[in-house]
Amino acid sequence: MANIDDLVADLAQQAGTVKPAPHPYRLSLQWIGAAAAYLALSLALSGVRPDLAEKLHNIWFAAEILSLLAVFIVTSLSAALLAFPDLYQKRHLAFAPILPFLLFLLVMALAWHADSPPAPLPIHSFECTAGITLMALLPAAWTFYSMRRYASTHYRLAGSVALLSAFSVGALWLRLHEANDSIVHVIEWHYLPMLVIGLLGLWLGKVLLKW
Amino acid sequence: MSTMAGYYSPVYLTNGDQVTDSGDNLAALMQRSLGGDSQAYAMLLKETARLLRPFLLKRLYSSNEVDDVLQEILISVHKARHTYDGERPYKPWVYAIAKFRLQDHLRAHYADRLHDAEDLSELEEVLPDDAVEPGFDYESIRAEVARLPEKQATILQLMHHDGYTAREVAARTGMTESAVKVAAHRAYKVLRMRLER
Repeated sequence: MANIDDLVADLAQQAGTVKPAPHPYRLSLQWIGAAAAYLALSLALSGVRPDLAEKLHNIWFAAEILSLLAVFIVTSLSAALLAFPDLYQKRHLAFAPILPFLLFLLVMALAWHADSPPAPLPIHSFECTAGITLMALLPAAWTFYSMRRYASTHYRLAGSVALLSAFSVGALWLRLHEANDSIVHVIEWHYLPMLVIGLLGLWLGKVLLKW
Repeated sequence: MSTMAGYYSPVYLTNGDQVTDSGDNLAALMQRSLGGDSQAYAMLLKETARLLRPFLLKRLYSSNEVDDVLQEILISVHKARHTYDGERPYKPWVYAIAKFRLQDHLRAHYADRLHDAEDLSELEEVLPDDAVEPGFDYESIRAEVARLPEKQATILQLMHHDGYTAREVAARTGMTESAVKVAAHRAYKVLRMRLER
């Protein structure tokens, strides 16, 4: 008990004006805004696919982009909530990414079903995964750097969600940049690697976000 | 006990308001603390310790452990205080940190126990076969243990009778963890020689 009293006295001496962390909604808006600017700049530099306007009239392509956008936005929000010890007492929102992921899976399943006869496979394969991953590095680094300033009590999950959010930025970029209609290729080399990224995020969260 | 009584006695702020463990009061104390009021901060930490002690007592074996984890939690509250804005309830915030630190502690504790399980398997290798037969337990070799040098006997007593880990024994005896393991290993050898006779 004496130790506790001493510790309390010590800590109280260090009491000073503390600026409270921003609200997670504001934090996630900052991340989303920065990632959107990064995506726009990347597309401006790399160029959008030549048939983008036409493709956006394709219901499954538009649904894929919209659901991927939803994954990006909701994972950003969830990562911001998970950066707080008590998830800012909005637990239902912190675990909300499950819904856009389910929607995304459904859209991809329907798009695959509608891809008949199947569009020809592109000649490349893993290059897409590598490109998406490289594109995701900067948003991932910034998100982790930002999250380290808070105090996550779900650091593994927070790491996984943050990495998925960054990866979805990369996936959006490639889908809007590369003229590629093969759903099989997209599933295999664009989106299945997200599972590995999610698992990697569990480990990275433990390494980088533990406090 | 008198300290305990003092701990549970009402706490008053400078303006005469009594502080109870009501979430609202704790939130108000935290708001003042974030504004740089060190007295409010000290009260908040004391009240937090008082709030969390029963929670930890239910989940940990010894009061030493409770004190250790409580200190970890208070330090964590200090580190993470900027993540609390004073607008939402205080208790869920502080309990989230408390559970997090408790899990960390338990994880480390069980990791130590698993590490020690390897030491016990070494013991089975060095002791004669009948050492692991029913009836041959710590109680039955107590007399032999008592004949060991005092330091070795104490280490075996703490590790295999009282259930302490090698690290905890090291902390209690002022030795290094590896020195504890070496001393225990030597003691096992002596025991084996005596029991083989």
